[in-house]
Amino acid sequence: MQSKVSRRDFLQLAGAVGGSNAVYRAAMGLGLVPTVAVVKPNVAPLRKPRKVLVLGAGISGLTAAYELNKKGYEVQILEASFRAGGRNMTVRNGDRIDETGYPQVCNFDKDPDLYFNCGPARIPGHHVNLLGYCKELGVELEPFINDNRNAWVQDDAMFDGKPIRAREYMSDSRGFVAELLSKSMKPDQFAAPMTKDDYERLREYVKYLGTLDPNFKYVGTSNAGLATHDFTSPEVLKTPLDGRELLKSQFMAIMNFGETDDQAAMMMEPVGGMDRVPAGFLRQIGHLVQYHSQVQRIRVLDKGGVEVTYRRDGEYTTVRADYVLNCIPMHLLAGIEHNFPKEQAAGFLAVPRGKLFKIGLQMKERFWEKEGIYGGISWTTQNIQQIWYPAHGIHRQKGVVLAAYTFDPNSGEKFARLAPADRIKLAIEQGSKIHPNYGDYVETGVTVAWHQMNHMLGCAAQWDEPLFAKWFKTLQKPAGSHYLMGDQVSYHPGWQEGAIASAHHAIADIDAREHAGQAVSA
Amino acid sequence: MNAIRRTLLAAALGSLLGVAGAENKFDYCLLCHGAAANGNAGIRAPKLAGMEPWYLTRQLENFAAGIRGTPGDDGSGHEMGPVGLRVKQEGTLADAVTFVGGLPPVRPVVTIAGDAKHGKQLYAACASCHGVKGAGNAQLQAPALAARSDWYLVTQLKNFQAGLRGADERDTYGAQMRAVVTSLPDEKAIADVVAYINTL
Repeated sequence: MQSKVSRRDFLQLAGAVGGSNAVYRAAMGLGLVPTVAVVKPNVAPLRKPRKVLVLGAGISGLTAAYELNKKGYEVQILEASFRAGGRNMTVRNGDRIDETGYPQVCNFDKDPDLYFNCGPARIPGHHVNLLGYCKELGVELEPFINDNRNAWVQDDAMFDGKPIRAREYMSDSRGFVAELLSKSMKPDQFAAPMTKDDYERLREYVKYLGTLDPNFKYVGTSNAGLATHDFTSPEVLKTPLDGRELLKSQFMAIMNFGETDDQAAMMMEPVGGMDRVPAGFLRQIGHLVQYHSQVQRIRVLDKGGVEVTYRRDGEYTTVRADYVLNCIPMHLLAGIEHNFPKEQAAGFLAVPRGKLFKIGLQMKERFWEKEGIYGGISWTTQNIQQIWYPAHGIHRQKGVVLAAYTFDPNSGEKFARLAPADRIKLAIEQGSKIHPNYGDYVETGVTVAWHQMNHMLGCAAQWDEPLFAKWFKTLQKPAGSHYLMGDQVSYHPGWQEGAIASAHHAIADIDAREHAGQAVSA
Repeated sequence: MNAIRRTLLAAALGSLLGVAGAENKFDYCLLCHGAAANGNAGIRAPKLAGMEPWYLTRQLENFAAGIRGTPGDDGSGHEMGPVGLRVKQEGTLADAVTFVGGLPPVRPVVTIAGDAKHGKQLYAACASCHGVKGAGNAQLQAPALAARSDWYLVTQLKNFQAGLRGADERDTYGAQMRAVVTSLPDEKAIADVVAYINTL
């Protein structure tokens, strides 16, 4: 008689015999340990000529064009603006910020460290496709410091708005909560399988969680930072902050930011600015991009192929292609003449456009380094929400600080309604609650209201679960040989990895059609 | 090809992503107001194609002067404020009017449901200025209402009522509208009159 061995039983058995290393190797064999690897679609070389028109030279458009061009497709990219990259946008001295009502010019000093990433600014280690392209295209990367416990937390709701170090908030609130927990936990509160030994181990865990003393009291911890850093005398701990006061702050909701999947170390950034990514693509396929070409009309043809009319220098031109990969933001597509299926067109208006907003300020001195802050983010519950300190150019004279990055649409709107100078004024006013004399360091700044930027009029599409369930498949599904792309058609909107995923999805589908004999003809 | 040379040059410079070149002048008008400025309801940008040049001019001047589109204005009007200011400051207002006004208009889709029969009675108050066919009257500075974005007519009628438009003392014609919209007592009346305008 054969006994059934479950996968879990098997792993326990392997562990008992061969130790944890054996468990790991066995798990690899069963495919349980996720590997982090590039999953580029394997596009086969073409058998007959095919013309592909890509609408938009953002990350998804560049990715698809780069891959299809390699396999012999005839590719052209129509880009509405004067630049490539889409929301991947870095500004330096002299660069234009093409906002509809408030066009601006970046007046930072001419210096390789003085740049501002207006869109994406960090790459997590599991964004393997983007990292793969960085490697393939020779885009040099450096560590990006995202989470910094030495940065500040400021909330008018606690300590009369006085900022405290993030490490103090986190350590002292955890100590406070852990001490209360250990006092109130009783063995009989837990269900039967919890033995006395289990309970003791749980108490130990809570002790370490809150850095409690052997008597399960929280008396402070060096995790919160020392009172002085004079290392010729005994260490003095800071007096713990009042736990009840700490819990008044909504920072509790953002406290674990640096532990989330996309935000935890190790994060990276391209040396010299995020736009080194599109620049890397352009070195290979820059000649395929035609700028200043604003799409006005798209017609999916019954007999196969797609016809696109665009406006350039006031002239209208119509081109026909076997496939169209369309990266135009959905809310703008709604204003273009088209013949997409009604149910798909309805989806263009269903997903709200993002209203994220950023400010970059050139500071005449890197004053934050005197406060012991090297890179990372200070958080506030004011409209500016965040202050980022550059991880590059450490100990140089000047630096560009991110002085506002709003996730909340109301804060984005509030800033966007102001003229650029007033936006900066407001950011300085709020930032001054974190850094005294903040405004004195400001030399010049740029403001980026994504929902008012030319050719964009929105940041990442604001998907949520019900919207995904209702619209995603409809929007992703090609209409004839027309594909919608971009991070807007991914489950990772707002990330370049999502844009690449959408491009890979579309080109894999084209490849399948080309090699299944269902090809469309122009 | 010129584009290739420009791109290669940009790549060689290393720091430039885009290319300098002829601008698609007024592309930002079409960005919001859609292909041939026939409107994009999704982002609350109305159809402008076929609007009277004198009306477009006055409204752009109003946006530039803060008579319309101030920060406290309704959700989309305030986005036009800075654009009015921009064309004014750049000295391109007249060109923008010529461009937008000259685009080929398309009859917009109907999005407002209402009782057009009742709307016809209400429209009597509108007809004296805007004309029985909604074709407008330049002498009275009353723009055409027929074949405009119907949802936009609703928004503006509500804005006049709420004082978001026409309340500025410099807005003479807006003040006239504010006085007349009192003849539309509620949302239903507004929907009805717009439903009637849709038949013109």
